[in-house]
Amino acid sequence: MSAVQWLEPRSLAEAGEVRAQRGAEATVLAGGSFLGILMNQGFLSPTCLLSLRAVGELRGITVRDGELCLGAMVTHRQVERDETVRRDWPALARAFGIVASPRVRNQATVGGVLADADYASDPPAMLGALGARAVLRGPTGEREVAIDELILGFYQTCIADDELLTEVRVPPAEPGAVYRKFRSRSSEDRPCVAVAAARSGGALRVVVGACAEMPQHYPDICALAAEGPLDGAMAREIARRYAERLQPLTDARGSAGYRRRIVAVEVRRALEELGGVGGETLVRGRQGGTLVRGRRGGTLVRGRRRAGP
Amino acid sequence: MNVALELNGRSVGLECEPDEMLLAVLRREGLRSVRATCGIGVCGACTVLVDGEPVSGCLMLAALSAGRRVTTVEGLSSADPVPRAFVEAHAYQCGWCTPGFILTAKALLADNPDPSEAEIGEALGGNLCRCGSYVEIVAAIRRAAAELAGGALRQ
Repeated sequence: MSAVQWLEPRSLAEAGEVRAQRGAEATVLAGGSFLGILMNQGFLSPTCLLSLRAVGELRGITVRDGELCLGAMVTHRQVERDETVRRDWPALARAFGIVASPRVRNQATVGGVLADADYASDPPAMLGALGARAVLRGPTGEREVAIDELILGFYQTCIADDELLTEVRVPPAEPGAVYRKFRSRSSEDRPCVAVAAARSGGALRVVVGACAEMPQHYPDICALAAEGPLDGAMAREIARRYAERLQPLTDARGSAGYRRRIVAVEVRRALEELGGVGGETLVRGRQGGTLVRGRRGGTLVRGRRRAGP
Repeated sequence: MNVALELNGRSVGLECEPDEMLLAVLRREGLRSVRATCGIGVCGACTVLVDGEPVSGCLMLAALSAGRRVTTVEGLSSADPVPRAFVEAHAYQCGWCTPGFILTAKALLADNPDPSEAEIGEALGGNLCRCGSYVEIVAAIRRAAAELAGGALRQ
């Protein structure tokens, strides 16, 4: 029989104390879908689980000072279905709503997907493009870190052993934000290439996910957009430079060379959508439970296929 | 540890280890419709409903089901139109994946009583049938939707 210890604090204050006392010895458990995979595969055998399920403070979806505040224990499905998120941050609702299957989305959490720092997850790239910050709570207080400061590499974050990721804060919604997910295998798969693009405060932010150990954002290339209208030529030029700069990885979803070509296409399409070039809708999301296909010049999700033998 | 939950309509206390998945614990309880298959949340053969929503039994720690309502196909009424529609539409060959499909379909129809074929595909994209009975499965769900709507179906 295993002698795994189960810790289930009832409040955020208590959770913080337990985390500070136990540190890395206790594996923090949110929804458990990622930990479940690691445990089933024999990659992880926790001796002590610190479950956040009973911490009610981590379950809220609120808007404060125009910012969307997602508690760490909010599930992907809740983000996908929340009326406020769908209305004011539709591209974010879409990025969470396109993860895996409804089954996984019922379990996986906002805090979990960031703390796992899996390179092939959908939400981090979108949160990065929207300029979101993660709130890390430790014994001496809270700090906020941007997504590109949070994720340091493959499954590595800047979360200290005495800190908990408690909330994600997303700046006020901008009129244009796009999430494109290119899948090379099946409908419920992780992305081969993900492109999130948003304009905030006039500045363009393009983040490419699933191609490297962390989401890739090149501010100097994005700054080109300040030099002229975001038209077809600008979209092509930024896409070309992203594809040139990026050092893609090779995995079961595609080789480095394949990914480089897809990045050039998908970044261009994301920017065409953002700039309203090519007649595509600016932001796509789900409405009334239906995936809005509303396409007028491109395919919503490339490489999308029914799963099956 | 002992986990108190509502399992197929009964209040139960399940003995389990903190690192045990719900799938293993349910099978130990004799609920053999919940099937260990891929172990990574991809295939859907271990689908259970937790508070009415589909979840992978293979990825959910049993301890996280405390205080929640867990349903397997053993807990469905014999008059339930969804499993009956699967039989009537011959929506299976070997039957291994069928409980997962039925539960996912139950959750879909609770959410959307008249789903289009595309919506059915979207909702069931995470359930795999290696026999390839997808066409019949979609037909079964349409049939169940019609029955639940009292025969009046939009499409």
